[in-house]
Amino acid sequence: MDLFLDRLSEPLDALMTILAGLGINLETLTTQSEMIGRFYTLAIRWLLPLMAAVILLRCLLTLLGEKREKTPWGYLQLPSGLRISITRWENLIGRGRFADIVINVPTLSRSHAVLTHRHDAWLLRDLGSKGGSEVNGTKVEGEAAIDYGDTISLAGLEMTLFPAGIDSPQQRHEYDPDAFVSAERTANHTTLALILLFQFLGAIQIYLARGAAAPALPLIFLSFFLLESLHYVIIRRYSRRNLVPELIGYFLCGLNLLIVASSSPGTLLKQLAAILIGMIAYTVIIAVARDLDRAHSLRYLFIVAGLLMMILNLALGKSHFGARNWIDLGFISFQPMEFVKIAFVLAGTATLDRLLTTRNMTAFVGFSGASIITLALINDLGTALIFFGAFVMISFMHSGNIRTLFLFLSGAAFGGLAVVIFKPHIAARFALWGKAWQFANSSGYQQTRTMIAAASGGLLGVGGGRGYLVSVAAADTDLVFGMLCEEWGLLLALVAILMIVFLAFYAVVLTRGCRSSFYAIAACGAATIFILQMALNVLGSVDLLPFTGVTIPFISNGGSSMIASWGLLALIKAAE
Amino acid sequence: MKLLSARTGLLITLILLFVLGLAAFAMQYFDSAPAWVEHPSNRHFYTDGKLSNLGTIYDRGGKALLQMSDGGIKYNEDPAIRTALMHVTGDRDGNVETSISSVFKSDLMGWNWLNGAYRFNSEQPTGGTDLTLTLDAGLCAAAYRELRGRRGAVGVYNYQTGELICMTSSPSFDPVFPPDLTGESGDYEGVYLNRLFSAAYTPGSVFKLVTTAAALEQLPDIDKRRFRCNGEMEVEGNMVTCPAAHGELTLGEALAHSCNTSFARIALELGAEKLQEYAERVGFNSAQKVDGIHTIPGRVELAHAGKAGLAWAGIGQFTNTANPLNFMSLVGAIGNRGLAVAPNIVARRGFLPAASAGAKKRLLSENTAEALAKMMRNNTIAVYGESNFKGLELCAKSGTAEVGEGKKPHSWFAGFLDRSDYPLAFVVIIEGGGSGSGSAAAVASAVLHRAVK
Ligand SMILES: [Zn+2]
Repeated sequence: MDLFLDRLSEPLDALMTILAGLGINLETLTTQSEMIGRFYTLAIRWLLPLMAAVILLRCLLTLLGEKREKTPWGYLQLPSGLRISITRWENLIGRGRFADIVINVPTLSRSHAVLTHRHDAWLLRDLGSKGGSEVNGTKVEGEAAIDYGDTISLAGLEMTLFPAGIDSPQQRHEYDPDAFVSAERTANHTTLALILLFQFLGAIQIYLARGAAAPALPLIFLSFFLLESLHYVIIRRYSRRNLVPELIGYFLCGLNLLIVASSSPGTLLKQLAAILIGMIAYTVIIAVARDLDRAHSLRYLFIVAGLLMMILNLALGKSHFGARNWIDLGFISFQPMEFVKIAFVLAGTATLDRLLTTRNMTAFVGFSGASIITLALINDLGTALIFFGAFVMISFMHSGNIRTLFLFLSGAAFGGLAVVIFKPHIAARFALWGKAWQFANSSGYQQTRTMIAAASGGLLGVGGGRGYLVSVAAADTDLVFGMLCEEWGLLLALVAILMIVFLAFYAVVLTRGCRSSFYAIAACGAATIFILQMALNVLGSVDLLPFTGVTIPFISNGGSSMIASWGLLALIKAAE
Repeated sequence: MKLLSARTGLLITLILLFVLGLAAFAMQYFDSAPAWVEHPSNRHFYTDGKLSNLGTIYDRGGKALLQMSDGGIKYNEDPAIRTALMHVTGDRDGNVETSISSVFKSDLMGWNWLNGAYRFNSEQPTGGTDLTLTLDAGLCAAAYRELRGRRGAVGVYNYQTGELICMTSSPSFDPVFPPDLTGESGDYEGVYLNRLFSAAYTPGSVFKLVTTAAALEQLPDIDKRRFRCNGEMEVEGNMVTCPAAHGELTLGEALAHSCNTSFARIALELGAEKLQEYAERVGFNSAQKVDGIHTIPGRVELAHAGKAGLAWAGIGQFTNTANPLNFMSLVGAIGNRGLAVAPNIVARRGFLPAASAGAKKRLLSENTAEALAKMMRNNTIAVYGESNFKGLELCAKSGTAEVGEGKKPHSWFAGFLDRSDYPLAFVVIIEGGGSGSGSAAAVASAVLHRAVK
């Protein structure tokens, strides 16, 4: 036996030498669990970025491979025998390039009329066309109801509205689970399984690195896995199309929990609760917004709630890192302006006929003004910028006018000038932009620490729970990009950011086949907020933009931010 | 609805702008990440602002040149090696910008692109990445000794593999016992400058190699021509002179005797444009990188030189400057049949061979390089004396660069060994050293004899 051990010792020594060359020094490890932890990190830091990339790729492929069915809601029969199918709830008729139903007859106006399906009925609104519109021989003043079989005359051109056959729109209104392509379902299942595995492996890493600090960690993650699986099962029943937005939401929430477990394990339960509330809010918004009329009433509810939030914030706001954006009600504390984001986007929505006729944006402009003034008063410059950006985007969706766009942007320049004059401390912050390294230990402290952490992580990260950025203030919120890079690697951090970029891009794709402009504007507004938040957070924390202290949707620690993110995601999803 | 789809263009623009911003960050990251991690606040590497671990720098024979131990820097025990290699290891305060410990600091700290600061056992400072250099510490010390306190630099490298085996720059000092560098005498002026990498001198006659290369390729039948030297030549009221009248010469003889009037004539015949083109082709006006260490480029600017200026430029005396390392690569390329192999200094990082070794670039055609090599061999036999370079198969060119009234000229000697067992190219520059074939050649002889031992 001794002889055997002697024989073995030589190759063992050689192995130790090789391992030492790789930076693996076994003799320094004291306990067995520590040993397991080290080896686990060694393997997992390669595996996780790879899995994240695969998940992103699968989401992309699902979107690309999707067959978009365009079942008509009805037909317009022209005297020539031509049948034009109506595939949307809102249809612009005219000879213009952007009309949904293009009829190339010179007497028609470019934007002649809008044919809308609402309240289970069809409506025709004349857009003040030259030739005018008639229904069954009666001139349309403003709006007129249409039944199947009615004759519509646009500048003398007659056509008749017919139902789409047995599949009347009313029946189609309800979701038919069988229409959901089964192959896509399986693809979604696999992606979910991958996400769960990713989160499971990540949770073990954090537990091995930080287990002592967070004894409840396994239970929290287990509950989270159950929660997202349950949500998936429920939402699958109501989804018209793929579940890519939800899957990305789950993935990002998992990252959020991994970050929180590393930075402040004590708040894990609170964060899990926020995810739960977020998912519920998401489901409710989706269910309500499915019906356009209910969506309209939802809008007013949110706007009123939004106004209340603003008043509440102005009255009770508490300061946190310079911005007075927290409310503490004793039993709960939150950031009201996060929820106003949803109200803001909804206030900006309009339906196509309204868009093209009245162009009345007074309510939206008023709400925007109120929000931005509130943000200015509570000193939250970053969020003010986000609201302003979303305002410009939504206004452009309304008007399509490049000149107005420039008007807004020059207005913003003047606004910026006013800020510089009246708020010198913000001006000072701008003056330091791009000079973080010159003031590495004073005003550039957070940015330089973010860059140091990001570089220290390399491409693969030093392992979850093994970073040092956590000790810097706001590491898991404003500097969360640095934390992701340091602990999980630049590759994984970039994939996570690209997931949210992908969500925004998804909103663009959805507008093409959207039933109503209401959903299209809401989706684009939400996407704009996502992108602007990321731009200000990621590029701000590495000194490529002024550092304004905003969160990354989903990933940053914070209950209000998490719930608001799910709410905004619901607005994107509703556009399906 | 189509209307709204068209208007999503603004959102798409916003998304693209953000992706561009991300790309800008990625570029910044790949440009600056090594510098970021070196910040003393980085707790992955520093404890209380002090580096907690650092790899060791070894020479090619495994001699430790610089080592981190117990929070302090430990240098080689031999003061001669420490002094000769001060510009490689850097001083204690990191004043030498081109030193290995400055340029490769992040590597020595144990950082790399893939793994970042990751260590298997992060609580245990197990040392950074070790660097093994191509340099031979003993040879460097010998070269420094041969300079005998005169300002200047010596470089020797393998022109087939690019390995820099000897490098030293004077003045220097022992980093363990730094003298009073601010003394009145001015002895230590520019002491932090590695003169091989970061200085550029008037080349004098060594530049005739560039003029010859251009002549060989651009002037037909140049090798059959005869030049007449009567000791002086007037160009637009300017006198170009030789020490004595050389009489009738071939191109090779003109190079061997460094005949100024002949080369002034060749330069005028070539024209400013062609001479400029060849100077730039062989590396003037562009900085070189030695494993990421920047070097200073030599300069040739002939656009507004005029005829007299062009004549002087052809013999290396106009406003031209040459960087010693760059010039060494040029003579190395002549030795390697026209193919320049980029010099490198890091042989191994950790237990991996360095990636950048031996990037090749053709400077001269094979025929031109061969012809130049023959002439340079002839220089040794006819002028410098084969007995001084016994067995070295030396091909070389000397230079005595005038630097102004009342100042001793700079002494240059550059060339290569035509030996397959020791394919070495070298450069020696001594500031105010006088005759190139005298003082610089003597240093070269001693260093090269030691190198082939
Ligand atoms: Zn002469």
